[in-house]
Amino acid sequence: MKRKSLIAICLAVGMAGLLCSPAAWARSIKVGIVDCYSGPPSTYTNDVRDAFKLVVDQVNAAGGVLGRKIEFFARDSKFKVDLGLAEAKELIMRKDVDIMMGTINSALALAISNLCKKEKVPFFVTFAKSAKITGAKGHRYVFSMNENTAMAGKAGAEGLAKRPYVKYWIAGDDYEYGHAIAGGVWSNLKTIKPGVKLLGQSWWKVGEPDFTPYITAILSAKPDAVIVATGGRDCVPFLKAAQATGFNRRVPFYMHTATELATLKPLGLQAPEGVIGTSNYYYYYPQTAANKAFVKSFKAAYGRNPAVGALYGYVAAKFMIRGFNKAGKIDTEKFIDALEGMRIDSPVGPLTLRAFDHQVMYPMFMGVTHKVPGMKYLMAADIVTLPGKDVMPAVAEIKKARAR
Amino acid sequence: MGFAGHVTLAAFCQQVLVGLSRTTILFIVASGLSLVLGVLRIPNIAHGSLYMIGAFLTYSLVRLGGGGSAGFWMALLAAPLGVALLSFVVERGLLCRLYEREHLMLLLFTFALMLVFGDLVKMIWGADYRSFAEPPFLQGSVLIFGLPFPRYNLFLLAVGPLVAIGLYLLTNRTKIGKIARAAAVDREMVGAMGINVSWVFASVFVIGCFLAGLGGALVAPTQNITQGMDHAIIIEAFLIVIIGGLGNIWGALLGALIFGLTDAVGILIWPQFAIVFPYMAVVVVLVFCPKGLLKSIW
Amino acid sequence: MSPPGMRFKSAGFAFAALAVLFLLPAVLPRYYLYLLSLVLVTGLLATSLNLVLGFGGIYQFHHAVFYGAGAYVFALMLMKTGLPAWLAYVSAPAAAALLSLLMGLICIRLSKLYFGMLQISLGSLVWVVVYRWYGFTGGDDGLQGIPVPGALSSTSGAYIFVLAVCLLCLALMYRIVNSPFGRIFQSIRDNPERSAAIGVDVRQHQLIGLVLAGAFAGVAGALFVTVEGSAFPEMLFWTLSLEILVMCLLGGWLTFWGPMLGAAIIVVLRTWVGIYTDYWTLILGVILMLLIYFLPDGVLGRARKKKTIENPVAGAGKV
Repeated sequence: MKRKSLIAICLAVGMAGLLCSPAAWARSIKVGIVDCYSGPPSTYTNDVRDAFKLVVDQVNAAGGVLGRKIEFFARDSKFKVDLGLAEAKELIMRKDVDIMMGTINSALALAISNLCKKEKVPFFVTFAKSAKITGAKGHRYVFSMNENTAMAGKAGAEGLAKRPYVKYWIAGDDYEYGHAIAGGVWSNLKTIKPGVKLLGQSWWKVGEPDFTPYITAILSAKPDAVIVATGGRDCVPFLKAAQATGFNRRVPFYMHTATELATLKPLGLQAPEGVIGTSNYYYYYPQTAANKAFVKSFKAAYGRNPAVGALYGYVAAKFMIRGFNKAGKIDTEKFIDALEGMRIDSPVGPLTLRAFDHQVMYPMFMGVTHKVPGMKYLMAADIVTLPGKDVMPAVAEIKKARAR
Repeated sequence: MGFAGHVTLAAFCQQVLVGLSRTTILFIVASGLSLVLGVLRIPNIAHGSLYMIGAFLTYSLVRLGGGGSAGFWMALLAAPLGVALLSFVVERGLLCRLYEREHLMLLLFTFALMLVFGDLVKMIWGADYRSFAEPPFLQGSVLIFGLPFPRYNLFLLAVGPLVAIGLYLLTNRTKIGKIARAAAVDREMVGAMGINVSWVFASVFVIGCFLAGLGGALVAPTQNITQGMDHAIIIEAFLIVIIGGLGNIWGALLGALIFGLTDAVGILIWPQFAIVFPYMAVVVVLVFCPKGLLKSIW
Repeated sequence: MSPPGMRFKSAGFAFAALAVLFLLPAVLPRYYLYLLSLVLVTGLLATSLNLVLGFGGIYQFHHAVFYGAGAYVFALMLMKTGLPAWLAYVSAPAAAALLSLLMGLICIRLSKLYFGMLQISLGSLVWVVVYRWYGFTGGDDGLQGIPVPGALSSTSGAYIFVLAVCLLCLALMYRIVNSPFGRIFQSIRDNPERSAAIGVDVRQHQLIGLVLAGAFAGVAGALFVTVEGSAFPEMLFWTLSLEILVMCLLGGWLTFWGPMLGAAIIVVLRTWVGIYTDYWTLILGVILMLLIYFLPDGVLGRARKKKTIENPVAGAGKV
């Protein structure tokens, strides 16, 4: 039968193509990265990959880890979970990678985490902020190299509680990230300051083209302050609408990622002033030698200032390298044992990987947007540091969530 | 939370205005889609991509012009023209050879265009968020009913009717418009009268794509210009065209009004579920009149 | 499709091919088994679309909705109820068929392009519900860690199961296409007016075809969850529907095996291209354009063109 043999030939050719790819570097340590490098999220993910590469290149030039080079393979998931999962399987099953890394998409991170648990491959999450990753759905093989929604929520609440606001309005992206941040801020805020009142909430769809209708609706309710739980690509249009309507001058509002470079740079001098935001990293804060050195080398390599993603890529590389060095050989279980509770130095000071949930204990910097003479975009000012141990969810909470 | 109890008349009127300015963008984009659909019978999936390209071009041109008012006006005109030129090249170079094919082939061809345009935008403009400010005299807001209303939205409110009138004049008062409407009803007949149908199609396609580019250019200052803008707008535009009646420009206006107003008013009275309102409106319309509200012209 | 005598002759070949397919887990590395499972699931989905598109001439533009519906119903039943897995496997196609019936009843009144556009609209509403119903469907996070029965959770176990179910479904669809119903269905595609004139209830036949196609897509959805252990809202997004259409076009939509071949080529190519470049979308777009210009009958359609009597229908090139 002609058509069947045709099918067979086509399949065989395709498979042969896959099988014949070079099997060089057989003795290197292989890291598989799946992340979204197309579309809006790539603003963040390129920084992760670039900073990771920077550290890895340095280490390889100095002879590698345990005498082996580190090699990584990056795949573009296009923000599609099915495609990303298929790519992760390709990396694990065909490339036989030692470590998986990525991704900015929480759904994909949870799916890969599930796969890595089954395959017993360590998975370093970079940028997906769902608290479930190391919380309710955490396990031995997953590590979070970034803050999560629980931490951001707690940090936001700590900061807001110090301000005199009582009547709040909550508004945000109607998806996992938005609900998790808003829920985190609100539940913590009520615990710290029981007198606060919630006037109402608005939830918009991701990619909402115009925020003016939401803003006018919120303004007509006259709250003291607003918690804006929006992230990623929606930050920029929201801040634009806030500037156009004078929202920031009428009502103070808190928005987790408002002070990040990726948000403020595209807005230029049109960004609203006085917006309260939190972030894990600014290239201009803290003004330590370690941070300055990191910014200098990143800028020399890529011609731009590192944003928060660069810190995550850097930290992931550092933990991997220290982990293998401490384990003394390429052994997954020894590697994980070595990582638990490990402390490294970073541009934002010493960081610890909490042994129980494999979450890096990042400090959180809360600042307010303002104009700086001579700069083409706004920066964070009046920065307050909230130490990592204060913003981490308690181990008891995580135990409770996992038992459920 | 249930229904918010703070809705005043002022807030309601304000919200209607906001909804109307959103309607302008939706109408401009959907009318272009409807025009192409009505005359050429092509469901142009790449319409959203042209909208996105219009926004990116506006960004680049405004940057080139230094950010002043003159630069903005120039970009507002030049970006849609650039999109029209691109669509002209695509139509004459590729699409015009396919008119005799099945609708399905035409649909898939525009899907291929969407895929190619998406990656080309990624190659040319990269991944970063793009944003630029409104021209100086349209920045900030004015107080209407005691609530701030962005000046730029006022500008959009003025543009919407202008485009609608322009389209009316074009389709009813010009020769090309009349031929196009005739071609939509019976293309063989128009061909038999010695008119070059192929060029009529080219003109209509280019005008439709110009409108997509114009929508993108107008929305650009209020938005984050990114990849993915194409996916977001195209389904809304299709829904509007469907509920309005395929190929009917006034239907597109009606559909855009329904979409824009239900969305804005929904946000005011039941914010958590606002997103559901326009879709509910679509379902209600489609269950009662599956062919759309106004008569489709074919 | 093929004459009975030839079918008898090739029985030996078919049996050998089956034996090889079922014995593959013994020799093939598990990544390739996984890839083959994906090819089979995607191929089943494309074939089910072709049932109404190629053989029925119906513009089913949003077929992925039924795939996603099957996947979500299957996943939610395993996650939220204690019912046995076989019941979930039965419910997935049943639910997809029901959805297909509902959407069909609304859309069937309209013809061709209008049908397709209305279907995209209604399908998008279903997608919005799944994407927004954060508490129940997991919203944009989708559903992960779905408790697939133990025997099917290994790569080779899933492969054998997917292979068996796919073969069964393909055999059923082959029978349907070649049954009296299938022939009436194809005559409606070729000339609905004449079919109606000789007393065929056109809408009823089309509706039955839609429900059957929806049910098979639902099976494909459940199989996808079996292979991946997850379900996502992208499974109901309209771009996937168009990608399946491309697979049918690539393989040849006037042939029974064309969509399966198209799915195999796209899935393998996507994996292979993804290793070397981020521009898969661009490549797919260019492939699609070339197909429309130079190979409108698809790979198999082209190969068989000489044999087939002239057939002036659905996408068969110049009219």
